[in-house]
Amino acid sequence: MHISEGVLSAPVLATGALLAAGGAALGLRKMDYERIPGVAVLSSAFFVASLIHVPAGPSNVHLVLNGLAGILLGWMAFPSILVALSLQAVLFQFGGITSLGVNTVIMAAPAVVSFYLFGPLIRRGHIMSILGGFGAGAAGIGIGSILVAAALVSTGESFAGVAKLIVAAHIPVMVIEGIITAFCVTFLKKVKPEILEVAK
Amino acid sequence: MKIRVQGSGFGVQAVSVIIILLCLASNVYAHKVSIYAYAEDGMVFSEGYFADGSRSRNSRVEVVEAETGKKLLEGTTDDNGRFSFKIPGVASLRLILHAGMGHQNDYTLSREEITEAMEKGPEAGDQGPVVNRRETEDNPGVSVPPAAVPGVSPSEIEAVVEKAVDRKLRPVLRILLALKENSEKPGITEIIGGIGYIMGLMGTAMYFKSRKAK
Repeated sequence: MHISEGVLSAPVLATGALLAAGGAALGLRKMDYERIPGVAVLSSAFFVASLIHVPAGPSNVHLVLNGLAGILLGWMAFPSILVALSLQAVLFQFGGITSLGVNTVIMAAPAVVSFYLFGPLIRRGHIMSILGGFGAGAAGIGIGSILVAAALVSTGESFAGVAKLIVAAHIPVMVIEGIITAFCVTFLKKVKPEILEVAK
Repeated sequence: MKIRVQGSGFGVQAVSVIIILLCLASNVYAHKVSIYAYAEDGMVFSEGYFADGSRSRNSRVEVVEAETGKKLLEGTTDDNGRFSFKIPGVASLRLILHAGMGHQNDYTLSREEITEAMEKGPEAGDQGPVVNRRETEDNPGVSVPPAAVPGVSPSEIEAVVEKAVDRKLRPVLRILLALKENSEKPGITEIIGGIGYIMGLMGTAMYFKSRKAK
């Protein structure tokens, strides 16, 4: 899901950087003192998650955990993911410095979307919170892959073709992420329900 | 069972997330594609692989002139991630591997490497099937320019030397390639270091926020 350096054209990179900066600024405004450790923990989780490889046919896909970050952090997912992606770019050479903005938007925007779509669900009953967690995890990846396809259109590939390919490659990850996110949400609800409540 | 955790509300969250990740992270794999190439006997051999060691199959390889960016040719890798082509002309070549879904990397062969491979090319052809140089790395130190030695023909000496050196170097090359691939995998140092950076940032942010609150 990380777009490498030198793939995208300058206007796409600039748009991505602007959107990412805006999202990060908004997230930082919402981040008060008590929320800082949570943002950092999810940033670390996101940072490591990309090293977990999921075999999916000929392609190479990995966990992202942006749905989990989104459902717990809301807009604060932007700064959290931005930090993790910068470190991945520098330390692992995943993605790249110039494509940092685009990659942040690709992974943080679905996180915010799943926060609004599934956030209310996880605060309801047991079954609802499992469904909400699964939905957030799956939507994080699903919407992310569509955004990757949209970004790649600028390189001259046809949207429908790339989108189909990328979404198909990420279906296994969507399922796995859904399960992991649902598990995390139910676990947190049991032992530390106030974490889910504060996320606003 | 009720678990009580003092301090930050994210204590349990942190522990649970880290436990889950550690359980899953039995295999540390990455998501990055690389390409490696060398020139020999008038041909360029290239190989594309992902950071987990798997080959990049059916990927488009674009060959451009490094200085001008002019596109010379393109092709796709086979099932072993390999792609080879005849050297199109003396120039520094850049091979760009497009592994799809926004994954891309390149490798540049210098003009010297190309020139040398071009010079050696026809000679190797003249020597007939004696020399098997398929696996040889293009190494300037190894290539022996045919010198006039009385009694034995230069090409014969070269053939024998090449063969011996090939045999000796093959395992070394394999180790070097494995090392190169390994060095591109993210190690435990990078992982722990990255988490450390995030914790450091957290501390810094909390420090400034707490000062502001006072």
